[in-house]
Formats: sequence, structure tokens, C-alpha cells
Amino acid sequence: MGVENPAEVAKFIIRSRIADPLFVYSYFSQLPDSNYSKLKYIISSSVTEACNNSVLLLGPRGCGKTAVLELVLEDLLKEHPDMISVVKLNGLLHSDNNCALKEIARQVCMEHQLQFSKMASFDENSKFLLSILRECGLAHKTIVFVLEEFDLFTEGKQRLLYSLLDAMQSVSSQAVVVGVSCRLDADQLLEKRVRSRFSHRKLLFLSSPGEDFQRLAEHILLLPMDSRLPNDFRASFNEKLLNILAGEEFKGVVDQLCYSDSTVSHLLRFLFCAVCHMDLSSGSLSIQNFKSALPSIQRQPKQEALKDCSVLQLYLLVCMKRLEVKEVELCNFNSIMKEYKSIPDSFQTCDNFARNVCLRAFEHLLQRGLVSFQDNRGQGQSTEFRPVKLLISWHELQQGLQSFPSCPVLLHKLMAREG
Amino acid sequence: MAETQQMKKFKTPSKGTPRAKHPISLDHHIAPQTPQSATPSAINLRRSHRLTAATPEHRPALSSFNTPKSAAKTRKICEDPPSILPTETSINPASPPPVESRKKRKFQEKSAEKRKDSRNVKCKRAADRKVKKKVYHKKVVYDGGEFSAGHDVYVKRRSDASSDDEDPEVEECRVCFKPAGRRVLIECDDCLNGFHLKCLKPPLKAVPDGDWVCCYCVARKNGEVMEFPEPQAGKKRARTAREKLLSSDLWAARIESLWKEVDGTYWFRARWYIIPEETAVGRQPHNLRRELYRTNDFADVEMESTIRHCFVMSPREFANAADGGDDVFLCEYEYEVQWHSFKRIAEIDSNENDGEKVVDNDADWNSCDESDSGSDFNSEEEAAYENEKRNRLSQSSSLRPVAANSRKGQIFGLQKIGAKKIPENLRSRKQTDLEKAKSTLLLATVPKSLTCRDREMNEITTFIKGAICDEQCLGRCLYVHGVPGTGKTMSVLAVMRNLKSEVDAGSIRPYCFVEINGLKLASPENIYSVIYEGLTGHRVGWKKALNLLNARFSDENKCRKDTRPCILLIDELDLLVTRNQAVLYNILDWPTRPNSKLIVIGIANTMDLPEKLLPRISSRMGIQRLCFGPYNFQQLQEIISSRLKGIDAFEKVAIEFASRKVAAVSGDARRALEICRRAAEVADYRAKKTALSSSDASGKVMAGMADVEAAIKEMFQAPHIQVIRSCSKLSKIFLAAMVYELYKTGIGETTFEKLAMVVSSFCANNGETFPGYDTLLKVGCKLGECRLLLCEPGTRHKLQKLQLNYPNDDVTFALKDSKDLPWLAKYI
Repeated sequence: MGVENPAEVAKFIIRSRIADPLFVYSYFSQLPDSNYSKLKYIISSSVTEACNNSVLLLGPRGCGKTAVLELVLEDLLKEHPDMISVVKLNGLLHSDNNCALKEIARQVCMEHQLQFSKMASFDENSKFLLSILRECGLAHKTIVFVLEEFDLFTEGKQRLLYSLLDAMQSVSSQAVVVGVSCRLDADQLLEKRVRSRFSHRKLLFLSSPGEDFQRLAEHILLLPMDSRLPNDFRASFNEKLLNILAGEEFKGVVDQLCYSDSTVSHLLRFLFCAVCHMDLSSGSLSIQNFKSALPSIQRQPKQEALKDCSVLQLYLLVCMKRLEVKEVELCNFNSIMKEYKSIPDSFQTCDNFARNVCLRAFEHLLQRGLVSFQDNRGQGQSTEFRPVKLLISWHELQQGLQSFPSCPVLLHKLMAREG
Repeated sequence: MAETQQMKKFKTPSKGTPRAKHPISLDHHIAPQTPQSATPSAINLRRSHRLTAATPEHRPALSSFNTPKSAAKTRKICEDPPSILPTETSINPASPPPVESRKKRKFQEKSAEKRKDSRNVKCKRAADRKVKKKVYHKKVVYDGGEFSAGHDVYVKRRSDASSDDEDPEVEECRVCFKPAGRRVLIECDDCLNGFHLKCLKPPLKAVPDGDWVCCYCVARKNGEVMEFPEPQAGKKRARTAREKLLSSDLWAARIESLWKEVDGTYWFRARWYIIPEETAVGRQPHNLRRELYRTNDFADVEMESTIRHCFVMSPREFANAADGGDDVFLCEYEYEVQWHSFKRIAEIDSNENDGEKVVDNDADWNSCDESDSGSDFNSEEEAAYENEKRNRLSQSSSLRPVAANSRKGQIFGLQKIGAKKIPENLRSRKQTDLEKAKSTLLLATVPKSLTCRDREMNEITTFIKGAICDEQCLGRCLYVHGVPGTGKTMSVLAVMRNLKSEVDAGSIRPYCFVEINGLKLASPENIYSVIYEGLTGHRVGWKKALNLLNARFSDENKCRKDTRPCILLIDELDLLVTRNQAVLYNILDWPTRPNSKLIVIGIANTMDLPEKLLPRISSRMGIQRLCFGPYNFQQLQEIISSRLKGIDAFEKVAIEFASRKVAAVSGDARRALEICRRAAEVADYRAKKTALSSSDASGKVMAGMADVEAAIKEMFQAPHIQVIRSCSKLSKIFLAAMVYELYKTGIGETTFEKLAMVVSSFCANNGETFPGYDTLLKVGCKLGECRLLLCEPGTRHKLQKLQLNYPNDDVTFALKDSKDLPWLAKYI
């Protein structure tokens, strides 16, 4: 491989750390009274004291619910080898009861090297579930059921949840049902019989405040001692980084970042971008990297779509806008075309395209999502006659026009409702 | 090595002689009190103050071993089988168990030899028809001892019967080598040797409470050398059977069944016990000295090779058996010889066995008296045996793998599941009060007695008894309703348990009981096949099952075999409602037919379920009803404190607080139990935290009001306020704009476009940057994902409709005093 650039190695290390949720969230496991320690207490008490439990992890997306759970399970598997088996279900895949039970049976069979039959019926699988719970309880083995997207399991009659939770209260087993959901009202979705059997333990995952961010960034970005990097490189890298992280400028960047979204996953994406911007020749991160990473994760898709439009498309958008202002109820391509034709009459311009050219431009707008059909009815109809709606607001359109490099003056005038 | 030693030691076989009964009887014993006899915990077992001087007489021990009822019966039976005294000369070469390795015991060889034997016998007494078959016995008196299925015995390990036979029944003091006599022997918890209280240095006055370890073991632990006194010259120290067993010179086995071979010898099927040293992992640190493992290894053994009874007990029995003598062992786990894994022995399992045993006794009461009349029954049992054997073979052969999760209700391969090592922390640790409280508050632990539901249980009992005990058994229906967690199913099942014991006692006629849960059926129609399986044990499709059941319950079929009345318990009855309600109609129609002998108990939540159904159904179901009202706070308090009796973990006010809180909301007992359990968890968590940080055990932690409060908060409080407080600035502004818009327009629903205008004006007026529509849309969608807002998908962009999901007062409350955006307060 030859001599490796230490900067490249450092970049590789940091990037692989950011991509590894277990590493990132190990920061939270050190904190006292964190969700990590609470969840670990709940599951490990089920392992050591042989009891059933059920818990719900709630919180917005990107706050590390699944990651913390994985971390807890990993640690517990290390502490109690061969005593925990994990069954993972996802509401998006297994919301159907029959298929969820089958999946449970399959995963349990895999775990214990039993023969699995996919022909087994609902009845057989649920009986199997009960007896496996009982046997595992007798053998001091804990089964952890992880139900991701828990809210999707609450559709229908909730047979799966009922049979799981009913088994918890009737079989002397040791099992934990962990539901993971981003819906805060997930426990309210349970049917009354199921809710009565659910233990209502809830752990709330919140997005962390700004001060935590800096420490988390240090945790991720500082190069470790035991890497294959030369020592002086590591020392200078870390020193520069600490300077940046402590600086006011960086705080400003973080504030801007947290202004719209303060979840951990957002921060991670930001750090990843920043590290990708790292200059390999200088061999260290600079504040400029962080600054340039900021706009690249706060994209404005509609604005950018406007930037790429042709002048004709802008004309069409402005025409739609004018129609909207005139409070025309029904707007389709024909009425837009009419409006478009009326412009050259009042302002003597040469931009007068044929109808089929305009139609092509209009279809492009549809594809870009700047314009959409009003409803899904009449799909057989051709595009020209179906009613459409403009999806961007007046402000956005004006902003787009102003930032457009070669926008005709006429368009601005039209926007300002002249003529 | 051990074997040669033993060869030297024991000289004369003393087979036929009846064992000397010892004159010492119970009245010499000071009845000791085990400190932990009240709690059934598996941990902290000890029986160091063994007071017996010698092995106890068999009679008292036996009766404590059996249930009193069965003991009474067995005494009757045992008169009939002849107590034989086998002649000393006829030592059958095939009789002793195979010597070398237990695991390679082969059934085939033995059965071949047996066949040879039987052929001989046939030649001899060709005229005698009776003895051609094995005759099974419930109880055999052999060699002066009484043996029956379920007993545990010592089995000789060596085939040449010369060695093991001297059987010192009297345990000697390890110091003075005199038998106990009238004085008390105390057992060391470590080396299991017995000592006279007086022989100890310093001598003890009374048996101490708690663990006691002799001075020799203490010395050995401290690294000193302290030899046990040597016996006088010319006198050998006799080893007791227990010592031999624990040094693997003897075997212990459980008698599964007994029979008399055609040649008149008595055999039994043995289920082996194994000592911890013989397992794959060896002795583990938490193993008790007297611990054995039950294996799943069987063999046929001749009665001749048994020595005498030993007593293998479950941990609970063991904890209570303070003066059980020397031959008492503890067995908590089953050892899987094929996979080298351990599994706890289920308590339910043993209960079931007990129940079956009783029924069996009833069944062959007659058959055992006359060995001829029993032959039919026996051959059946034999066939079952063969089946079992074949099953075992097919299981072990990997040629035909059987799917674990199918196979018509039978589940194969579960023997593979088992712990390779028994986790140490479960047994060597003492449970704190909080941990005990947690385990007793579990929903899965069934309380010993149901409180607060006496009236309802009486009503159910009278209903069922009234239906069963009538001569022609009128079919009836009972509809039980009540909100979840009020003990409906539990009460009915408790009544059924009581009735079952009455059936066992013989005071009411036997019946069959089928329990079905509507939510566990794949479809409502499936109930037919489940009922049919419950009644007959055969599985058929639901259509066929319906026909069969119709035929069974119909009038014409008077001469059917099974005339027992049938009780059908259907939980979650409302799940059986189909569009044309045919399933419910069928089930509720059967009881009304004459001679159906069917009783249906339906359980559901809604009070007016019968009224919602078709009139022809409600007229059949709605006559007898029983309502389970929600518990009030005194009842909840009673339920919780009855579970926590004897455990000092909760403050009384805390229990009252929790029960009042639950009673005010739902009266759901499950909820109350869960709150208390959670409170105990919170307290325990706190206790462990402080123990970690301060490292000194500073007093006892009790679950108090604060813990209950925390648990209730966690359960009842919706998390949205916390989420709103912690979300990003822009989300807060977004929510504030929603509230503002709501106040301004008075309409809950708004569109994204309008809202964006409000947000941008907020930002402009208060010096915040407006981040652009796209970012704002993303924020709105995230809020919608958490269900703080209800919103349409984000592709609708500016047309997206938005609405607050929680009351605007909550949002206002959460945002009012936010530190990073103080100006929000003036808009809301």
C-alpha cells in the first residue's frame, strides 16, 4: 500500500466512527441516569430476577432509540452470554399477525437450531410461541422481543400484541417486549384489553441540548490513542480541533444547526459532511470545513428546482400565480395557456412559444413537483385538461426569480401584478 | 479408585434381612424451626441442624412424602401385591444395571435377553396362561420396604452384589464415631459430616440458626491443616449411602413404573439422578452439597439392585425438611444428557403429575387388585411405552428432522433448549425485600388466594354446580362481563380449580373443561376445531368439527360414549361475532338442546353485548349474567397488601396512594400491580445507585410515596409536554404559530402556506432568521411524525393541512416560559 497519508487515515477513522451508532451512543452510556442505564436496568433485572417486562421507547426520529437499545443488548449479551435471545420485528414488515408469528418462530428456531417449517399455521405457531416461552423461562433464558415501529402493530385486532402480553401474565417465563415508536401517543393506540396487560413503562428519548453537542463532537472527532497514527500528528490534530470546538465561531455554527433540528442524527450528518470537506494536505479540520458543511445539509430543494428552470417554465409558473391571484377556481393547462397568450398582447415581447413547446415545459414542471394535479381523479384524461395546483408560494417564487441570473424584467413586472 | 475402596470395605451381603428399625422416634426430636421456611425462595437453602440420629423410619417419611390422600390409598393397595423375598442364590445375570457408562445403556440388549427369559418361562409353564405378560403394579413391597412409582431409591452401581450391601443406616459422629443415640447430631453445611454437639470444640449448647460450618472446614478454608480424628485401630469408619452417592459409588433413581416380569422378578423403570460432578460442566460454585440433577435418561432396573429409599425434594420441600435424615437430597434442575444442558423443573409440571397420579390411582384401584383384570390396561400402557420409546428414538435420529413449530400441536426439539451452565447469580444471591416484592407483584405470579371476589366466585360455583349436579344436566349459559383487569378470567379459573379438587375428592361427578380465548383464534370458525380437540383430542378441520359437534350435542345421539358434562369457557367472547353471527348462535344453541350436557361461560368486556346481537342469540345468552365491577380503592389495597404479606418493602401510605389513584381512573387491578411493581423498581434502582456510589449499605430502602408518584407519572403522564420543551427552536416557533393562528381564526385547521406567513412575520419581528420554506416544511413533517401535529403528507407542500393533536392549552403551557425564546409568550 505504500506510505499512507496520516490525514487520510484520520479521516477514515472518524468517518467509520460516525457511521457506527454503537460508538456514537456509547457516549450516552457513560452519563449517569441516562436512558441507557434505565433501559439496561429494566432488561437486566428481567434477566437476573426472572420476570416479564414490557417497555415502550418513545421519542422523535433520530434521537437514538434503536441505537441505545442495540447498545444495551450488546452489553447484556457480553455480560450474560448464552442467556439472551433477541427477536426483532418491524411494523413495516410484520404488521400482519400471521406473518409476525411466523417470523418469531423462524427467528427462535434459528437461534436454537431447531427445524423450522414455513407451512405451520397460525395456531401451531402461537402454541409454539407459548411453549418456547415456557421452556426458555425454565432454562433461565430471556427472550427480548423488539418491535420497531410499534404503532404499526396496533392496526387491526392486535392479536400479536395480545398474545405476547397475555403470555407475559400467564406463563412463568422471562421475556421483555420492547416497543420502539416515534409516535408519542403509541400507548393510547392499544386496545383496552391489550392496554390493561401492557405494563406502561415508557422511556422518553429527547433531542439533546446544544451543550451536549460539543461534548459529543469531541467524543467523536478526537483521535484515539491506540490508532496507527504517528503520535505528533495525533497531538497536533487534537489540539487544533479542541481550539476550534471551543471557539465562538463553532458555537455559532452549532446554534444555526440546532435552530431547525437538534437531534443527534442531524448532528452526525453534519459532522460527516464536515469531515468529508477536510483538506488532506493541511491534515486537520478547520472551521471552514464546518461552515461549508452547514448549507450542504440544509438544502432548499424547491429553491434549487426553481434555479434550474427555463425562462419559459418561469413564465408558466408566473402565469399560474396570476391566475391564483385572480382567484380562478379551476386551473388547468388550457387556462394557463390562455393567460400566457394574453401576456404578449399587453407587453410587446418576442417570447411567444408554440403550444406544444409550452406543454412540454409544463410536463417538466409537473415532474419536478413544482406543480401537481389537484386530485387523483381522471387519470385517463390527458394532461392538458386535468386541474392543477401550484405548490410553491408567492414568496418562494419571488425569491427564485430574484436569484435567477437572467430573469427577464418583464417577469418581475408580471409578478408584481402589472398588466 | 473409589470402587476398589468400597470393595474392601463392605463384606457381607445382607439382602433378605429386613432392615432394623430404629427405636428413636419423633418424640425425641426437638422440633426445629427453619428460619426461611415461610418463603419458598430457592436461594439460601440449608438444613444444618439435622437433628436425627439416624435415618428416619420409613413410615413417617413416606407419609410426608406423599400427599396424605394418596398415602391413605396406598396403604390399602399394598396388601395385595405379595411381598416377596427373593432367594439369595438366584442372582440374575441380566438384572443389575449396566456397569460402565450410563449413557451407553442399550434397551435392545436387555429386551433381547428378556425375551430369552420369557421363552424359557414359557417352556416351563406352558399351561399357565396368566403369567405371560408383564404385570404392572402401583406398589410393591420388596425386601421389607414399600416401593411405588414416584419414589426415589438408591441403586447399586456394581453388578457383583458383594460390595455395596453393608449399609450403615446409622450415621456416626465424625469425632467420637459413636452413633447419635439420643443426642443431637449437627450437620456441617460444607462437608456434610455429623457431629455431636458435645464433641465439638467448643461444645455447642443448641443448634445455631443460620449457616453452620464445622471447625475442620473453617480451618481448611483458612489454609490450616486440621485432620479429622482417626478412628480407633481395627474399626473402620462406615460410609453412609449418602456419602457413597455423593462420591459416585452409588446411583440414585426415581421409580417411574414397576412391574413383575414373567419369571417373577420385579423390575422398575428408573429415571436417573446425577451428581453435579458427573455433568459436563462439573460442580459449579453455587451447587449445594446435597444437590442432584434429574436426568432424562431412563433404564429398566431390577428391584434387587436397589438398596433403600432416598428422598429427592424440590427446593421448597427441602427448605422445610429440617430433620429429614441423611438421605435427603435437593433437586431443582433437570439435566439433558444429550445436550449437556440444564433446565429448571417446572412446578406446574409436578402439579400436573400429582393430579394425574391421583386420577390414575382412581382408575386402577380395581385393576391392581386382580392382576388378571388389569392385563388389558397394562398392555395399553405397555403400548404407550413402546410408542414413547420409538418417539425417543426418532427424536434422537437426525435422519428425519421434524419441524419444531408445526406437527399438529406437538412440539419437537425443545429438549435442545437449556442453559449450558446454571447462572450463578440466581442462586447464590440473597434476595432483598424489594426484589421479593417485585417478583410477587408480577402479573404472572398467581396469588395463593383470590381476595375481594368471593361473592362472584360463589355465584359462579353455584351456577356450575347447579348445572352439573342435576341428574340430566341442563345446558346453561352464563355471561360474565366487566372492564379489563377486574379478575374475570382469574375467578372463573379459580372456581374451576376448586371444582377439580372436589372431583378428585369424589364429591361431584367428573366433567370436562375446555378453555378458549377468542383473541387467540386465527378466525372465529376455528373455535369448532379447538372445541373438538379439547373434547376428544383429535384435530379436524372446522367444518368437519362443526358436523361432529352438532352430532354430539344433538338429541338423537343418546348412546354416545362420553357422558360427562362439558364446561366451555370462552374468553373475549366479542371476538366471535361474525357478520351473520352464526358461530355464536351455534355455540349458544347447543346448550339448549336436551341431553347436550353443555355449559357455556362467556367472558367479555361490554355490558350490553347480548343486546347488540341478534335477538335469537341474546335470548339464549342474556338470561344469566354476572357483572365484575371495577375494584374500589380498599379492594385494590387489599389485593396489593395480600401479595406483599410478609415482605417489608412498601410504606402503607404508598400502597394506599397507588390504589386510590388507580381506583379513581379505572379500577384495573393489573394497573395497580404494575404501578407498585414499577415503584419497587424505581426504589430498587435508587438503592443500587446509592450502593454503587457510597459503597456503604446505608439502611434499607423502602418504596415510598415519591416512588409511587414517579411510577404514576411515568404511566399516566403523556410525554408531549416534555417533547415540546426539548424540541428545536424552529419547532417551538412553528407550534406557537399554530396556536396563534388558532386563536386568530378560531378554526383548528390551517394550511402550511398561511402558517409560513405567520412564522416569517414572527421571525422578522423578533430578529430571528427565517430559514426558508423547505426547512420549515421539514420541521412541520417531523412534528407530524411525533403526532404533535396532525398533518397531510409533505408532498402537498403549501397546500398541506395542519392541526394540533393536543389541546392548545398544553402547548401554551409548555412554551410559555421557554428560556431560549422568551418572546414567544406574547403571541400565545
